[in-house]
Amino acid sequence: MTNPTTFTSSVRCVVHTARSQRTLLASRPSIFPLPTTQSAASFSTSSPHQKRKTRDNNRLRGVSPLRRTGPREPLSVSYDPLPKPADYKPKITVDKDHGLWGFFPEQGKLMNTPEEDGEYGRAWTANELRQKSWEDLHALWWACCRERNRLATANAERSRAKMGFGEYETNARDDVVKRTMKAIKHVLTERYYLWEDAYELAKQDPEINLSGKGEAYTPLYEQQEEDFLVKEDGDVTAAKEASTSQKAAADNLVDPSTIPASKPSEQAQKL
Amino acid sequence: MQPSPILRVLNYRHLRLTTKDVNKGFYKGNRTGAMGRHTRFGGYQIEWNRVRTYVVPERLRDPEFKLTPFVGKTIHPERGRYETKAGPKDPALYLETWKMQNGKY
Repeated sequence: MTNPTTFTSSVRCVVHTARSQRTLLASRPSIFPLPTTQSAASFSTSSPHQKRKTRDNNRLRGVSPLRRTGPREPLSVSYDPLPKPADYKPKITVDKDHGLWGFFPEQGKLMNTPEEDGEYGRAWTANELRQKSWEDLHALWWACCRERNRLATANAERSRAKMGFGEYETNARDDVVKRTMKAIKHVLTERYYLWEDAYELAKQDPEINLSGKGEAYTPLYEQQEEDFLVKEDGDVTAAKEASTSQKAAADNLVDPSTIPASKPSEQAQKL
Repeated sequence: MQPSPILRVLNYRHLRLTTKDVNKGFYKGNRTGAMGRHTRFGGYQIEWNRVRTYVVPERLRDPEFKLTPFVGKTIHPERGRYETKAGPKDPALYLETWKMQNGKY
């Protein structure tokens, strides 16, 4: 179907060209008489629609960045201003006392320098740890775990970010921590076996009562006193109070964490 | 489970035993240990007495806690001095110490 408007416009176009040709012909100087309708057409073998090619198929012909010609085709640009990114930074609230900070040397510090990591002493020896209480050894074990976590974090981060040096110092430090942990295990195992042997020995000891009722330990001289001396009840209770106060004083006398290694073993071992 | 004799000699002993080296049904594990048992129906029953519990000492949070994994290098390690041959493993010494610390002597 032909659109009526296009149809009329094409008709107008045809009429217009016919008119212009007539006026052209009419405006020519009349040197030659107008050909009559009976005369033959001029001879030509070339096809009427053939045009001479002046361009090749290069779409970018003439486009030169050196001459700043710009592209051949118009670009779609607008005069609207470009949007700018908003100045927005999300605020992350961090817990200052979070336990995961223990994986780093300080808060906000990723890892120690190799010089800082290279500063460490020797490992604890088993003989030194024999003086320590169970609570001390337990806490020291966890301090070692913490240190090893920190070192492993530094190693992982160093290999991830390819930071280079420092692995040697970290691993050497780790070896010392592992030696301390080995000594802790050594001491605890030894203490347990010792307890088992001492329990067997206590079965034969007349001073020790393993039944679980009454005093676990009654010295021989006290037993003899009870046998041979008749005492007042108040005196007996006073003696007991004195003994308990002595015991408390002995417990509070030395903080186990401050016992030097050279002292004889006075650890708070209880049967 | 041990590798077959040929795998225990020559260059093969430097190779790690993997699940590809043995027949099917071999479970090498990852050294973590079981925390329960499999049921008949393909499920898994967790036994809570086998699940690990880690008790962290409260002292670790204490700023007064001074113990570190290291001892200063200037502190020379000393050998323990013990009367008997058993040394620190002497149960008699243990009992004696215990009696001393019970406050009755």
